[in-house]
Amino acid sequence: MRLGGLRIFALLALGFAVGTQPARADSGTDLLAKNLAARGGAEKLAAISSIQFTGRLIVPGNFELTYKETRGRKNGEALYESSIQGLTLVQGFDGKVGWRINPFEGRRDAERMTEDDMRALADDATIDGPLLSSKARGATVAYLGREDFDGTDAYKLRVVEPSGVQYMYFLDPDTYLEIKVVETRTLRGARQVTQTEYGDYELVNGVYFPFEIESGPLGSSPDQHQKVLIDSARANVPVPDMMFAMPAAPGKK
Amino acid sequence: MSTISMLVRVLFGVAFSFAATLTAASAAPVDSSTVSGLGVRNIGSAQMSGRIAAIAGRREKDGKTTLFIGAASGGVWKSTDGGTSFEPLFDKQPVQSIGAIALDPSHPDTIWVGTGESWTRNSVSIGNGIYKSTDGGENWTNVGLPNSERIARIIVSPKNGDVVYACVPGKLWGDSADRGLYRTTDGGAHWSLILHGGNLSTGCSSVTMDPEHANVLFAGLWDFRRKGWTFRSGGDGPNAPSGSGLYRSDDGGTTWTQLTAATNAGLPKGPWGRIEVVIAPSNPNMVYAFIESVRSALFVSENGGRSWQERDRSQRMVWRPFYFSRIVVDPTNDQRLFKMNLFLIVSDDGGRSFSNSNGGSHGDWHDVWIDPTNSKHIVGGDDGGLWISYDGGSKWWKGDNLPISQFYHVSVDNKDPYQVYGGLQDNSDWVGDSAYPGGITNERWENLYGGDGFYTFPDPTDANFAYTEAQGGTIARVNRKTLEARDIQPRAGYNEKLRWNWNTPIALSPNDPATIYIGSQFLFRSRDHGTTWDRISPDLTTNDPQKQLQEKSGGITVDNSAAETYTTIYSISESPRNAKVIWVGTDDGNIQLTQDGGASWRKVSTNLPGLPNGTWVSWVEASRFDAATAYATIDRHSFGDMGTYLYRTTDFGKTWTALVSPQTAGVRGYAHVVREDSVSPNLLFLGTEFGLWVSVDAGQGWAAFKPGNFPAVAVRDMMIQPRDNDLVLATHGRGIWIVDDLSPLRSLSSQTLDAQVAFLPGRPVQQRIQSNGGWVDGDAVWVGENPANGAVISYYLHSRQVIGKLTIDILDPSGTVVDTIAPGKRKGLNRITWSMLTKPPVVPPAAQIAGAAVQGPRFLPGTYTVRLTRAGKVYTMPLTVGLDRRATFTLADRKAQFDAANQVKGIFLRMSALVGEIAALRAEAGALAGKLPAADPLRAELVQFDQRADALRKLVVATTEGGAITGEQRLREDTADVYGAIMATEAAPTPYAVARVAVLDRELGDVEKSLAVLTGAPMRDLNVKLKAKSLPPLTVISMTSDAGDTVDAGDGAARTIFQGMVGARYLGTRITSGAAPEDR
Repeated sequence: MRLGGLRIFALLALGFAVGTQPARADSGTDLLAKNLAARGGAEKLAAISSIQFTGRLIVPGNFELTYKETRGRKNGEALYESSIQGLTLVQGFDGKVGWRINPFEGRRDAERMTEDDMRALADDATIDGPLLSSKARGATVAYLGREDFDGTDAYKLRVVEPSGVQYMYFLDPDTYLEIKVVETRTLRGARQVTQTEYGDYELVNGVYFPFEIESGPLGSSPDQHQKVLIDSARANVPVPDMMFAMPAAPGKK
Repeated sequence: MSTISMLVRVLFGVAFSFAATLTAASAAPVDSSTVSGLGVRNIGSAQMSGRIAAIAGRREKDGKTTLFIGAASGGVWKSTDGGTSFEPLFDKQPVQSIGAIALDPSHPDTIWVGTGESWTRNSVSIGNGIYKSTDGGENWTNVGLPNSERIARIIVSPKNGDVVYACVPGKLWGDSADRGLYRTTDGGAHWSLILHGGNLSTGCSSVTMDPEHANVLFAGLWDFRRKGWTFRSGGDGPNAPSGSGLYRSDDGGTTWTQLTAATNAGLPKGPWGRIEVVIAPSNPNMVYAFIESVRSALFVSENGGRSWQERDRSQRMVWRPFYFSRIVVDPTNDQRLFKMNLFLIVSDDGGRSFSNSNGGSHGDWHDVWIDPTNSKHIVGGDDGGLWISYDGGSKWWKGDNLPISQFYHVSVDNKDPYQVYGGLQDNSDWVGDSAYPGGITNERWENLYGGDGFYTFPDPTDANFAYTEAQGGTIARVNRKTLEARDIQPRAGYNEKLRWNWNTPIALSPNDPATIYIGSQFLFRSRDHGTTWDRISPDLTTNDPQKQLQEKSGGITVDNSAAETYTTIYSISESPRNAKVIWVGTDDGNIQLTQDGGASWRKVSTNLPGLPNGTWVSWVEASRFDAATAYATIDRHSFGDMGTYLYRTTDFGKTWTALVSPQTAGVRGYAHVVREDSVSPNLLFLGTEFGLWVSVDAGQGWAAFKPGNFPAVAVRDMMIQPRDNDLVLATHGRGIWIVDDLSPLRSLSSQTLDAQVAFLPGRPVQQRIQSNGGWVDGDAVWVGENPANGAVISYYLHSRQVIGKLTIDILDPSGTVVDTIAPGKRKGLNRITWSMLTKPPVVPPAAQIAGAAVQGPRFLPGTYTVRLTRAGKVYTMPLTVGLDRRATFTLADRKAQFDAANQVKGIFLRMSALVGEIAALRAEAGALAGKLPAADPLRAELVQFDQRADALRKLVVATTEGGAITGEQRLREDTADVYGAIMATEAAPTPYAVARVAVLDRELGDVEKSLAVLTGAPMRDLNVKLKAKSLPPLTVISMTSDAGDTVDAGDGAARTIFQGMVGARYLGTRITSGAAPEDR
C-alpha cells in the first residue's frame, strides 16, 4: 500500500524553472493480523480487484499537479498520472514492463524503465502493499519492538523481501494502521532510503486506505517532501490490460 | 468572540471555537510529544566539522567503500559511497559520544559501537555501553557494559563473530571497577572482565589480535584520572606508581602475562602511562607499541613480543599521549605505519623514522582507515573532521558533509535574516547565516579568529565588529571587514597571575550595549570595547592553592594547556532589570552576587539544597522579569556525578529551590545552561549533556524536546533571537540548531492540553522575498536547512490523526475558501506551512512546459482565516499576512504586481479557451470528414477548415515536439516570458512589462477575432452543407474557469484536452456557430 512514490518528483523537476525492546517471536505475525483486521479484513481486501485514486500532488517548491493513480490486482499493474499545463507525466507497469512518459521537455514517447526503477514502481503498486502481501511475496517479517514516531509509540515491523528490499513499518498502537514506512532499496547499485508518512485513512469498499501521503528521502526536511492529497477513490474500476501497456507509438497523454 | 470568528460562524453555519471552548478531552501532560512538533532545523555547519574519534571501513565486493565514522560527540555516521554522502545512524540512541567501531569480518551487516570517547580531554563526553547492529546500522541494541562510560577498542574475532573483545578505559572522573578488557563469546549476551588493573583507576587503552592466531592477544592497561583542576596519565607524577602495563594472552584472553622491562628485553622501565599496541595485520611477529613513560617512544618487536627495540621518540610521536596514541599499520605492509598526533606521521621503515603525513589537514589526528585493497586510499579523522587521501597520505580531501561541529557557545545579531555566532572546540569562532536562499551552505559561514573557540558576540554598538575568544580567556575584538583582531584580554598586575578558565566567560550587558564583562578569578568590565577594563571584584573563587597546580598536571607527560585551569569564574549574568545586579558562578562552587555594580559582593551559594560545596557552577542566568530572581545550573560530572541540577532563587540568593535534581523524572545529563524565555517567565529551557528540556510551568515539569531529527547531543548554550522568537541551540557535536518561532510554547496551557484541537498563535507572517542563491555543489557537501517558506501555522492535536480527514482550509477576508493545505497529523504540537500561492495560470498545452508559469502569485497581504475540520468539528484562527519587513516596495506596489500577474493569468485563460475551442473544432471537423467519401468535396472543405483552425492554434502555442531546444516562441511562450518577469519580484511591474502584457492581450485578441471569422461564415456554410448530408453541425465549445481547484473537463474531446490543467474547468456549454440563439 503506497500511493505515489518519491520517484515522481525526480521526474517532475525537469521542466520547471525553479529505543527498541526485545521482540516476541510471534509478535510480527500478531501485528500483521491486527493490521489486516484494521484495514478491513482479508475478505474485503481481496474483493478489491482494482482501485483508482484522484487528488493533488504537491512537490517541493510548492508546485501543484493533479494526481491519478490506478492499480490492478491481476498482474500488480499500476498507472500513475500527474498533470500540469495539460501535460501529463505517466508512469506505468503492466505486470512485466515499467515505462514512463515525461512530456515536460517536449517528448511524448514512452521510455522503458530500468529494472530497478520498474521494481520500485511495481512494489509500490500492489493493492495490498508490501506488509500485507509479505507472506505471498516470500518476505520475512520481524517485530522490532516499540519506537517513538512523532509522539506516537509505534510498533515497528521489518519486512525484507527476497529481492533485498526492506520496509520498516511503524504501526499506530491504537488502530494498528501504518503511519510510517522507511523503504530501503538499491537503485543502480546505490542504496536509497525513503520515508513515507500516512494519514487520513478512509474506507474504500470497506478497506482503509490513506488519503494523505507525505514522502521524501530519509532525513529530509518537510520542505523537501512530496505530498499526495487524495480527494476521491473508487474500487473495482475497469482496468483493461491496454491501460497499463507501454505505448508503442508516441504517447498522446 | 472575534469578529472574524463570528463571521465565519455565520457564513459557514458550523460549530467552531478556540481552545477555550473546545470539547474537553482527558488531560494530557506536557511531555516530549507535546512540544517536539515545534520542530528544529540544523544549520551546521560542516565547514568546520568536528572531532572524529574512530573510523571503520570496508572495501565492498562491488568496488565501493563503506565507511563508519565515530564522532567524538556527534554519533555514528555511515557512508556507502566512500564518503561522498553520509547518514547519521545514532540519532535515536541516548548518547552521542563514540569511542570505537568494529565491523564483524564474518557478517557484513553486524556493526559494533563502543560509546564514550577515549581521547580524554577536558570536554570529552560520556557513553553508556556497547551497541550492536545486525542490519548495517539501521537498528541498534545496547548489549552491555552500561557502566563503562568509554570504550577505546573493539575486536571481533575473524573466526567467530560471537567472540568480541571490548577494551574499556572506563570512567574518567572517578574510581570504577567496571573497566579493563571484556570478552563475550555469545555475541554480547554476556560479558566477562578478563583483564583488569591493580587499582580502580586503571582500565584498558588498547587491544590487538594476532591475525593468524585468534587466541593471541596483546592489551595495554592504562592508569588515568581527570579532575576539574588536574589530569594524570599514569601516576600522579612522572615517577609515581601507575597501574599501566602491557599484557599478552595466548589463550584468547583467559590468562595473561605482563610484559615489562624485566621480562622482555627492550621495553622501557616503568612507571608507564597510556599504551597503544598493534600487531601488523600482514605479519603477526611484527608488534608495535607506543608506551608513555619518562622516555616515551615507539617500541617494536619483530618476534611476536618477546623482545623489543626502542624506535622513534620524536616530539610528534610522544606529544600528549592521552589525546593521541593510535597506531595504524598498513594491512599489506608491516613496515608502514601511521601514528596519530598533532600531525599525522608515517613511517616506511618499521618505525625507525617518520615523516609528516599531515598535508593540509586540520591536525590533531585520532584514527585512520587504510583500504586493504589499495593502501594509497586512506580515510582519517582529526579535530577538524574527515579527510580522504588517494596518494597514501600526502594530500587530503576535506570532508564537507559531516555537521559534527562542537560548539561551546552561541549568540545572534539582529540582521534580517540574523546571523549566528559561536565558538567551537579546536575550531575557532565563526559567524554564519540563519537563512539563505538555496540553503545554508558551508560557504555561508565565515571564520573570525583561531584556536579553540568559545564566546563570540556581535558588538551591539557597531556591526562591523565582533568579540571573539580562544581558550584561556584570549579575547579579541575583530574587525569584520578586515578581520584584524585586536587582543583585548585584561592583563595581570604586579606579582599576579590571572586564572582564565579554558572556557572563560564573556557577557554582554543587557542594559548597556557598550558594556562587556570577562572573568578570570576577578570580574572585569569594559565600557569602551576593551580599550580599558575595570576590575570590579575581588577574587570571587575559593582560591584553593591545591587546585592551582596545573604546571604539574598531566601525570607522566606534563600537559598544561589551560584546560585544567581552575578556581576561576565560569559564568556571568547581569540582570536585565537592574544593571547593578550581577551574578557570577565559579568552577569551584561559588555563586557571587553584587547589587551595587561590583562595589560589594556576597557569596550566595551556601544554601543550594542537596548539593555538596565546591561543585561547578556551569551557568547563572539573571531573570528578565525580576531582579531578585536568578537560575543556576550545577555540573558535577567532573566529580563523577552525572546528575542534573538546576536551582532558582527569587530573593537575591538568600534561598534556592531545586527545579531539577537527579531525582527529577525524565531529565538526563549534567547541566550546561538554562535560559528564560524573553516573553514568558513560565517558559524555561534547560540544556544538558543529552539534549534540551522545556518547562512551560516555571520549572515544575519538564519535557524532553526531541523532534525526530534531533539527537541526544549536548546543548552547551542557547540564545533567543528576540525579534524572531527563535531559539538557537549550540550543540557540542552536531552544530547549531534553530527552533523557529517558539512563541506557540508561550500559549501552551492546561486548557490547550485538555482540548482535542487548539490553534496556537505564532509570530506575524511575512511574505518573505523569494530569491535564488547558491550554486550546485555536488553531493558531497552538506547544506543547512532554511526556515519554512510560507505562512507557518501551529496547532495542537490531542491525539494523532490516523482515520478520517483532517482538513485545513484557508479562507480569504471575504470568507471564501482559497486553498486547502496538507495537514500535520502528529500528537501534540503540529506545524504546517501555507505557501500563500494562488492557483497557477491555466496554460494551454503545448510542446513543452511553460516553466515560468507553473505557479500563481502569492495572495495579497491581509487577514485570512485558517479553518481546521476534524471529526465534524471546526476550529478557526485568524492569520494576518504582511509584506516582508525588508521590502522596499509598498503594499500598493505589491497590489500592482498581483493585478498584473492576474491580468496575465486572464490572458492565459483566454488562450486556453481558444486552444480548447480550436481543438474541439478540429476534432469535430476531422470526425465529420471521416464520415464522408474521399472524393466528396465537402470532405476536402472540412479538411481545409481543420487546417485553417490549426494554423490559428500554431499562432498561439509552440508545437514542435521532440525535446529539442527549438526556441519556438508563440503567444503562449511570450506570455509565459512576461509572466515570469512580473513574478520575479513582488514589487510593481516595470512599465515595459505592463506594456508587453497589453501587446500580448492585443495579439491574442487578433487570433480570437480570426477564430470568430472562421467560425462565422465559413463554418455556417459548412454547417449548411453538413445538414444537407444529414450530418451534425460543427459546434464551438465555451471554455471558462471557475477558479476551482480541480479539473472537471466535462465530456468527450474537451475532457481529453483539458485534463490535467489545474484551475481549468469545462462548463460544458456548446454553441453551434452561426445558429440563432434559439437553436442553441
